Order: sequence, then C-alpha cells, then structure tokens
Amino acid sequence: MTNSIADAKDGKTDLFLMIGSNPDTSHPTIGLRIHQAVDRGAKLIVVDPRRTRLAERADLWLRIKPGTDVAFLNGLMQIIIEEKLWDQQFVAERTEDFDYLCSVIKRYPPPLVAEITGIPEEQLYQCARMYAAQGRHAIYHGMGITHYVTGTDRVKSIANLAMLCGKVGVEGGGCNPLRGQNNVQGACDMGALFNSLPGYGGLNSDEMFKRYEDAWKVTLPRRPGKPATEVWDNVLKGEIRGLYIFGEDPAVADPNIAHVQKALEKADFVVVQDIFLTDTAKAADVVLPAACYAEKDGTFACTERRVQRVRKAVEPPGEARPDWQIFCELSRKMGYEMKYNSAQEIFEEICSLLPQYKGITYARLDKEGLQWPVPDENHPGTPTLHTKTFTRGKGLFVPEDYLPPVELPCEEYPLSFTTGRDLARYNFSSMTGKTPEIDLISPECFAEVNPVDAERLGLKEKDWVRLTSRRGSVAMRATITDKSQEGTIFATYNHLATLVNLLTLDALDRLSRSPEYKLCAIKVEVLPGRPS
Amino acid sequence: MKITINGNTIIAEPGITILEAARRSEIQIPTLCHVDGKNSEIPCELCCVEVAGREGLVRSCDTPITEGMEITTESKALLDHRKKRLARLAETHFGDCKAPCNITCPGQINVQGYIAHVAKGEYEEAVRLVMERNPFPFSVGRVCPRFCETRCRRILVDEPVSINHLKRFVGDWCMTNKIDLKIPTEPRTGKRIAVIGGGPAGLTGAFYLARKGHDVTVFEAAPKLGGMLRYGIPEYKVPKDVLDYEINTILQVGISVRLGQNWGKNFTLQSLRDQGYDATLIAIGAPVDQPLEIPGANLPSVIPASKFLRAVNTEQIGICGRRAAVIGGNNIAMEAARSLIRLGVADVTIIHPRPKTEMSANQRSIRQAAGEGVQFLLMASPVNITQTAQGLDMELMRMKLGEPDDKGLRQPEAIPGSSNILQVDTIVTSLGQMSCDGTIYGGELEATLELTPANNIKANPRTSLTNHAGIYAAGDVTSGTRSVIQTVVAARRAAENIHLQVMGSGKDAGEGRFNFSRGRTFDDVDLRNFEGIKVKLREKMPTRSPEICSQDFDEIKTGFSEKMARREAQRCLSCGCTAFDRCDLKRLSIDHGIDPNKTGMGTKPLYAKDLRHPLIAVDLNKCIYCQRCLNSCKYDALELSAESYDEQGRPLGIKLVFNDKCVNCGACVDNCSTGALNKKDCLVPIVNEEVRQVRSTCPYCGAGCQILLKVKGNTLMEVSSEPDLAPNYGALCVKGRFGHKFVQHRDRLTRPLIRRAGQLVPTTWEEALNEVAKRFFDLKAQYGPDSIAGFSCARATNEENYLMQKFMRTAIGTNNIDHCARL
Repeated sequence: MTNSIADAKDGKTDLFLMIGSNPDTSHPTIGLRIHQAVDRGAKLIVVDPRRTRLAERADLWLRIKPGTDVAFLNGLMQIIIEEKLWDQQFVAERTEDFDYLCSVIKRYPPPLVAEITGIPEEQLYQCARMYAAQGRHAIYHGMGITHYVTGTDRVKSIANLAMLCGKVGVEGGGCNPLRGQNNVQGACDMGALFNSLPGYGGLNSDEMFKRYEDAWKVTLPRRPGKPATEVWDNVLKGEIRGLYIFGEDPAVADPNIAHVQKALEKADFVVVQDIFLTDTAKAADVVLPAACYAEKDGTFACTERRVQRVRKAVEPPGEARPDWQIFCELSRKMGYEMKYNSAQEIFEEICSLLPQYKGITYARLDKEGLQWPVPDENHPGTPTLHTKTFTRGKGLFVPEDYLPPVELPCEEYPLSFTTGRDLARYNFSSMTGKTPEIDLISPECFAEVNPVDAERLGLKEKDWVRLTSRRGSVAMRATITDKSQEGTIFATYNHLATLVNLLTLDALDRLSRSPEYKLCAIKVEVLPGRPS
Repeated sequence: MKITINGNTIIAEPGITILEAARRSEIQIPTLCHVDGKNSEIPCELCCVEVAGREGLVRSCDTPITEGMEITTESKALLDHRKKRLARLAETHFGDCKAPCNITCPGQINVQGYIAHVAKGEYEEAVRLVMERNPFPFSVGRVCPRFCETRCRRILVDEPVSINHLKRFVGDWCMTNKIDLKIPTEPRTGKRIAVIGGGPAGLTGAFYLARKGHDVTVFEAAPKLGGMLRYGIPEYKVPKDVLDYEINTILQVGISVRLGQNWGKNFTLQSLRDQGYDATLIAIGAPVDQPLEIPGANLPSVIPASKFLRAVNTEQIGICGRRAAVIGGNNIAMEAARSLIRLGVADVTIIHPRPKTEMSANQRSIRQAAGEGVQFLLMASPVNITQTAQGLDMELMRMKLGEPDDKGLRQPEAIPGSSNILQVDTIVTSLGQMSCDGTIYGGELEATLELTPANNIKANPRTSLTNHAGIYAAGDVTSGTRSVIQTVVAARRAAENIHLQVMGSGKDAGEGRFNFSRGRTFDDVDLRNFEGIKVKLREKMPTRSPEICSQDFDEIKTGFSEKMARREAQRCLSCGCTAFDRCDLKRLSIDHGIDPNKTGMGTKPLYAKDLRHPLIAVDLNKCIYCQRCLNSCKYDALELSAESYDEQGRPLGIKLVFNDKCVNCGACVDNCSTGALNKKDCLVPIVNEEVRQVRSTCPYCGAGCQILLKVKGNTLMEVSSEPDLAPNYGALCVKGRFGHKFVQHRDRLTRPLIRRAGQLVPTTWEEALNEVAKRFFDLKAQYGPDSIAGFSCARATNEENYLMQKFMRTAIGTNNIDHCARL
C-alpha cells in the first residue's frame, strides 16, 4: 500500500474506490475500517462482478464483467480527460508521458467501454466524476485485479488513474493493494524473488550486486531465475530437477494442479520444509519439520509495509526447528557458512543491507511496528509513500491496451468461473482446518449461481453440481444467489475437499507471471446427488 | 484544557470525558460497563467521581471535562457508593468462581483445569498444571484419599468424576511417552536452602524452592529418595519405577541431593548454618513408631510397622510364618496386613480395640484389605506377648466402648476376665508414627527445638517457622502421619514462606477466599443447574481381582486407557468459571472488599446455558447487563434486551441473540465483564497459575493484525488483542481470534522424514540434512545450479525468507528463487 490502514480508521479518506477486492472476507479488519468510514460519511464506489457486502452499501456499484478492468480504467481516464477533470498541476509537476497516456486511452470512448465491461455509460461518468473530484480518494485493490494474465496491466492502469487525478502521495489517498498473505510483503522485500535481490534491485544493478557480494563474500549468479509459476513446465522439460519447497503447498494451491502433481512426480529430488504433511510434502523425498509462527522469533511485514514482531510463545513440537536454523545448518553442509545465533542477528544483517529497513531494530519494534522506508534510527517510518517524489523521480504513465480474458465462455464451456476467499478460512485450510469450530462455521463451499443461470440449468438450491473446465472437474453443492452475476459462477477456494484449482487456468501474466486464477470457462452439470 | 484530578493538575484534550482524561493520565477509575466510549443503558456507576461545585456524584464516563474542573476519584463517599453498586450487581450474579473440587482439594489444585486439559488431549500440560501445586501427581494419583471427589457436583447427576484416576493417567502418559516436561525455573537467586529429608515433604519443599531459583540441597539418610513413598507404601500401590520417574522429574528442576546423610551424625542444624545455608527446612516425616507398651513388645518377631514395610520394600523381609497379626487400625496397618498376605502368610488378622467404622484407615483400604483375605479382630486389645516354641502367644482382652468422656468420645475399656490367646508367628505393630522419641539428637539447636506433646516438631502453622530463626519444619514431622497430599501442601506453603523470608519480600498475600458459589453444600445446589445433562456413569478403573493381585506385589490398578481418560474427562461439568482470570466483577469486588457471602449472590439458575453460537457459550446467569458485548460489537450482530426491571433497576428476563450479521470475530467475549460470554474452546480456568502474554502478529492475511497470545506452560490457551496498537487497534477476525489450534495440533510434523523404499519414514536431522546436501550437491555438479529451484514462504518471517534466498543464491548459486506473491 502507498498509504496506511489507519487512513480509513482515522477518517482521512473521503472516498474509497474498491476494485477487485472484498476485504470483508479477505482482509476483515481492513473491511471493518472501510465500513466504519462509510458509516461516518465517506463515499464508496465498488467495482466488482459480485454483489459483496460493500457493493450492497456503495454509493455506486459497478457490476463489471470479469476480466475487463483495463478497458474500464482506460475508459474512466478518457472521461476524466474529456471532461478536463484531471489534476493538471500534479500531472505537470510530478509525471511523465502524459501525452502517451492520452494517445492510448482515447481508444476507449465510453460507449465502447460500456459494451466491453457491461457497465452503463452513465455509471462510468458518475464514477469518473466522483473519483476525480476534489478530496482524499483512495483506490483499494486485491487479487481480483492481479490474478489475471493482464494483472500488471491493471495495476499500471490503476496507477495511471491515481496519478492523473493527483491522488497519490497524500494522506487518505493512494493505490492500496491488499496483499494476501501475512508476510508476502516481507518475502518480496527480502528478495525471495526470481528477478530481484533483497530491497528491490533488478539483476542488472551492478551497485546492488557489489553490495551483496561484498556482504556475503561470494560471487552471485546473474543469470535470470525462473518464477515459481514457470517451475513446473521446466521440471517437465527436464530443465529443473531439484526442488526446495519451503512452506508452500503448490500441489493444491497452484492453478491447474494436475499439471503440478505430474511435475512433482517427475522431479529428481524434492525437499519440503513445512509444519504439516501437506499434499506437496507427501510427494517429497525429504520432509523437514519446521516451527510455526508461535514458536520462533522474527518479523513480518504487512500490507501497509509495517514491519512487526513475531515472538516465540511456545516450544515447537517434537524435533521441529525454526526455519532459519534449518537454512543455516543446510548451508553449512553445502559448504557455505551461514552462522547466526538468533533471528535478531539475521535482522541486523538485513537492516545493514536494505535501505528501506536501515533504521529498524528489534528494540524499536518492541511495542509497535514501523512502516518502511525507515532510512535512519530516528526516522518515524513512512505512513504515506511518494509524498514529494516517486522512487524513480517522476511518475511514469504506462498505459496499456485492453486484452480480453484468455478463456472466454464458448459453446462447450458456456459459463465463467471465478474464485474468492471464505472469511473463516485461509487458503487451503491447512491451518484454519485444524480448528473444529471453523468447520462448523464453514463446513463446505458452494457454487454460487445466479437465479437466471439456475433456472436455465434446472438447478435447485443445494443441488450437487459438477463444474468442468478444460483442465479438470470438481463437484460441490450449489446455492442460488444474485451475488453472482448472470453467466458467472463463484466459489471459494478454501476447502481441501473441493479443489477448485483443478479448474483454474495456469496462463501467466507476461511480467509478473501471475496466473489467471480469477477467470476461466466452465460447464456445469447438475448431479442427482453427492457423487461417490 | 487544564483540570485537576485528586489535586494534580493535568492538561487534557478538550471535549473528552473525565474517565478518558483520567485514563490518559494513568489514573484508574473503576468501571464495569464502559467500552469504546459507550456505557450500559443501566450504567454501572462505579466510575462516579466528585466534582467541586457539583452536587452529588458525577459519572465520569459521560461527563466531559470543562476548564478548571476539580475532580476527586477516591473518597469515603465514593467508596461507599461503589461498594453499594458492586453488592447490588453481585446479588444477581449466579455461578461458581472456583469449582468445588478445586476448593476442597487440600492442595487447592486446579482440578477442573487439568481435567479440561485431559478432555482436550493436552496431557503434558495437565501434568504441569498439577505440578504447579503438587509435584507428586504419579504417587498422589495412586494413593490420594480424594477429598475432591466427595464434593464433585456430578454426584447430583450420577457419580463423581474419577478425578484422581485422571491425574494418574496424565502422569503415566508422560512417563510412557518419555515427555520432558520442561518445568520452568526462575532466575538464580544465589540463596542456599538445606532440606532435611528426601520424602514427599522434603522433595516438595525442594521442588518449589528450586523453581524459585534457589540452590537447594536435600539431605537424606536413606540410600534412595522417596521417604515413605519408597519405604512405606508397597509396590502394589506405587510401583518403584513410577516413583523413580516421578522423583527424577522433580530433580530435573535442579536440586542437589546428598544421600546417606544422617541428621545429628553427619550434619547438624548449626553445621548447615555454618555452611552458609540461608534457611533449613526440616521434613523428615514421622519415622518413629509409637511403641507397643506391653510385656513382650520387644521380642524379635514383634516388628514395628515402619521397620516391617521398609524391609518389605527393600526385599529384605525374613520368613513371617503362617499366621500373623497386625496391631492397629490406621492406613499403615492395612498396608502391613496386605503385604503379609502377599508374603504368603495364610492367616493375617488386624487387631483393633474399636469397631471397624472407627478405624482411622481409609475405608477404601479397609475394604480392599478384607477383599484380599485380611481378617479383623475388632474390639480387642493385646496385653501380653510371650515367645513359645510354636511362635508367639498374644493375650488379648475383649474391649467395649466406655461412657463418653468430656469431649464426647467413647474410649475402649477392657472387659474384665475376657482374655484369650491368639497364636501367631509374626506381629506387626502399627500404633502411629511420630517425628522423634522425645529427643532430637545433634547439637544445641536440636536440643532446644520445641516439640509438641505428641513428639512432633512445633512449627507455626502459617509460616512453618520453628522456634529457631531460619529453621522451618513441614509435613508429618509437625503433624504426625497425614495423607501425601496434605504433606505436599504443608511443604509447599513452607517453601513459599522460606522464599519470602530469604528474599526479604515481606508477607505472603495468601490465597483469597473470594468465591461466588452455586451452593456450598449439595443441599444448597439447585437441581435445575443440571437440566439436560444425561446420566453417564464413571469409567471403571481396570483392577486386578483381589484373588489374583494378592499373590504378588504388582500394581493392583492398571490405569485408564487414553480413550477412557478422554471419556471420563468429558464428564466434568466445568463448574468453575472459565473467565476466572479476566472477570472484572470479581476483580473490582475484591478491590473494594466485597464478600458476596455476606452481601448476597444469586442462588438459582434463571437461564439455561445457550450453546448455539459455534464459538461462544452464553451463560446469562452471570450477566450483569453491562452491555459491553453489545457496545463492543462492530457489526451490529448482537441483540441484548431485558423484559422488565426489578425495583432496584436491574434487568429481568435478559435475552441475548446473535443475529446473522455475526462474523464470529469474538470481540464480545473478550469484552465481557464476567463469565457470561465464554469462548467454547477455553475450558481451562486459569486460577492462580502464572500465564504469559506474548505479543505477536497474526499469521493469516496481509493486514498484519497485532495479537496477544496467552500461554500457560507450553500451551497456547487463547488469543486476544490490545486496543491501542496499530494497525488493527484491537479488531480481529474469526481466524485471528480463534484459528490458532493448528499450532499445537497432533498432525504437526515432529520429525524429519526421508523416502526409503517408496515410503516416507522418520529419520534424524543429521541424516535428513546430509541427504538434502548430497542430492543438491550432485544435481548442481551434474546439471548446474539452475537445475535447482526454491520456493520461499510468504507465511514465514522476513529473517527466514532472507536466509532462504541467500541460501539459494549462495550455497546453490541460482536465482531460481521465488514465492507465492504472484499466486
């Protein structure tokens, strides 16, 4: 997030534009603050194909066709320019390539955009005027934006819109992606990325390479790495033969899991380091038992870039060890000495190397976390990014053209399928599934079918259905609700008994290599009862 | 804005309430109903203060400050008012603070707590909980007279919970599974304590003193530790391997032991002082037998019970013949008689001058002895023993009970001319034990040690201090023979007092007797409390039949299986309040000196427990209508109402409903001022045990909510949050507050696994890591470093992600490192 969660709580945001995010289930405590802000009078625009709780109470709910966000965002900008609503001073002083932006977005006149997105022209105008108006306006987005082949295009388009209207770099505004996992921000910060060293440096930065090579006393590889989503193809091709899988369960979590499972079987040697014997671990050659968050010290960085402490509260079970100790021991055996006596020592090394973390210490994190960048030990942290300048200096407009979703409904697979999170569950329930009460609250997942589609399918409430995509099929019960748009079926992906990723698409974004989780084409068959 | 509170000038933000201004200045004003700036429609009025120039008392929670306001938060009038308000609220509060079992236990052990741990499968934590107050769960679990079970409320439904068998089960489970209990100790104090005696009292004292960080040395005369548990109680009750394990567990907290050290011979109280011990605890028990004062009592085949049992327990007993008599009616007499049966003595007779019901032995032991074939010759007393060629002739007089004496006791009297002779081979005398024969040998300090008329050491019952400074005595040495649990309690209290004395930290606050109760006696308890509870009889302890078990010294009771223990634990009615440690009504009542026994409390249940919510149990009998649940709910999900109000303005016919807006976040439970709302899963009441609060970050989504983990021993008990911390300011979702059972779930991986012949099998860390290093090394050599790819973990810490990518880039030498950021 460029901004802070507290913006919503403290009444600093006058308008929320929510795109592809349902924080009521995915980020419940952030959802709560948005509801409270709306209670206090903040305006709310929700762009979502689904009728979520926020959509129900929005000042404006744009029921967009799934996968058409770039067209929508470009159309919005076109209206803003057409009506001269943009922040001319901000654009002049803080940005570059405005003309290029204009040249692209003019290809998106409102009638065309209305046709692509299914949003009436009038609502497009309303939305553009509301967002571009004076005030502290924040955009929030979630995986509903990024889990597409065109995910980066969408994120860039969001940034374009915010810069165009001068809504970045101010308290209460900004572009605020709500990040999925507790420490996905930190894992990126730490350079657990195929294309970046810790602290965000491309593999072509000599300065960064020197810094890390000096610190680590080793020559580092500069050949590009493979993103996680491309590993499986490379295993099947025989390019990658050994896998070290730390705390992930791609055998159920990745898109098109049948493909992943095949690759796991083919790999020469698979090591899994986890807290449970996951499906991935069952396919491993060696399984290393790890300590969980309550059994070790360390830090997480949350979606608002806040670095916070995790503290050891109980002993790990049996012989399980904190992951950092496992890495040290293994590295020593591989001939590269990594010696730390505590998580704190590792953190000190991190802070000595990452400019964003430079001023952070465990002592400073004792009571409350700090939002990076924290350039020195007296710096209070940064609740709002880009207040004076962008990281690269001026903000660059990078307009993108709209590309339709990869897999559109067709005669054989006539419906769209999209997924989301269940409030009471987390991912594939390897953790939440161990609390029996959560099974009571959320015993199963349902295919949410619009009443019109239900009638067409001859479907009754709680009927069993089989959903089939080109990759696989899965059975579950259906519920009839107008939360789903006509033509689109929604299901949560959190029940291990119902692996919806057998259906999802593993086509990847060309830059971020994110898969198109959020949309694929399916057909639906009503079953006479629970399949055996 | 300038105001004064209790004479101190304070600069406060205009517009805030007096309560908020005080809170920000860290001045405590009590309140029961205030939360998130709101209070109850029937305000608790505890927050009332006095404001200069205003008539009467002013509610601080909804009175804004004004310039120059002079506020008084403590005065006699305010105290009286608050007391009156608290007493009024208490009058309708109905429930048990502590369970009757807990209160009845001489050791004040958190019985309900350890039963709940058993019910949840947390056996290790159950043992640690018992050991907070009794370091002998294995032995006591076998020999305890079970005071607790006599008060178990389940008696009003069917049968009491088999509490003691559960205690034994968890101990045995830990022994079988070789659990290292990792009992924590406090930092070293540098103080040295000597403990004389290595029996239950001495070891208990040593255990609690060592946990407090003192250097403790136990001086034991015998070659092994255990005292009466080893040398007095036979194997069929407490097997020696169990006792060895138990003692070993106790010693693991760090206790020095010196065996074969005889008090008065190898050391004296003065020599201990001279060696620099800061205090000495005398815990030698009652090793001296009361003598049988009749002719022939000193014949070689007339053996005092403690000597006899010591010989039995060390397998040094000689031949006892065919017939034996045991003189005495106490517990030791029963063990002597039952041991004689096991030694193959055909006729064993217990001789006692009173009827069976007036024997001091536990009736259960008497029944077991009879079951094994021990005979009883009652209303008889020996007067003379003579050695004959065949054995011993014991002359007995028939007895009758005389007229009641001053105290109303009827003493046995010999019936003149009723003498007859019993021919036996061996006589064991068990007339009671005492600490010494009237003299304690050693030096000056020993000689001047004050004794009781019964030849026990006199010690202050509260402090355990003898008449000498720094010298304490506890257990049977001060009281004569008692049950193990009573001895343990005495020694633990002595340890607490020794700790306070050597640390110079003043008096022990003692344990509060504050308690709401649903009825002190069974007659007081309303049977409507148990409506809907189905009859479920207790699990039967698997026991070897008397005919079989009386032929050897193996243990009679073989113990519950895990399933039996779980079933039995689930019979517990959980009488005590699971909000014990967080109840504000209790805390404020104690602070204000309210005793609900005097001021009144609810006497009958008006509401059935409501268990419909998936996570929250509702008991409106405890509700004081503070409405904090309602006012803390951010989702409008709670409907709380009253049908009418009594003449005091208190609500009648309270209704609490969770509507369909409820997102199960649990904020209402954490804000409840009593135990009216409880997390269903939090079954273990935290009574007096130490609990750690560990701040951490929620492991689920990217919101980064700050959480507070409540930890007892090694068990994560509960998760809550603090209202003042960014980014969530106290808010949590259902996962954040309730979704942490995975941490201590049985499915957790506990050992490295390696694939052998197609199967994943447990292995050592060394082998597992060697395999990984070798295989990666080989792949790297054969196909280059880019043939290996790593997935890092967005759930793990920064430190670990940093090391993972560092490992891949350095030790492996590839940029094939990524994580699920894009997934």
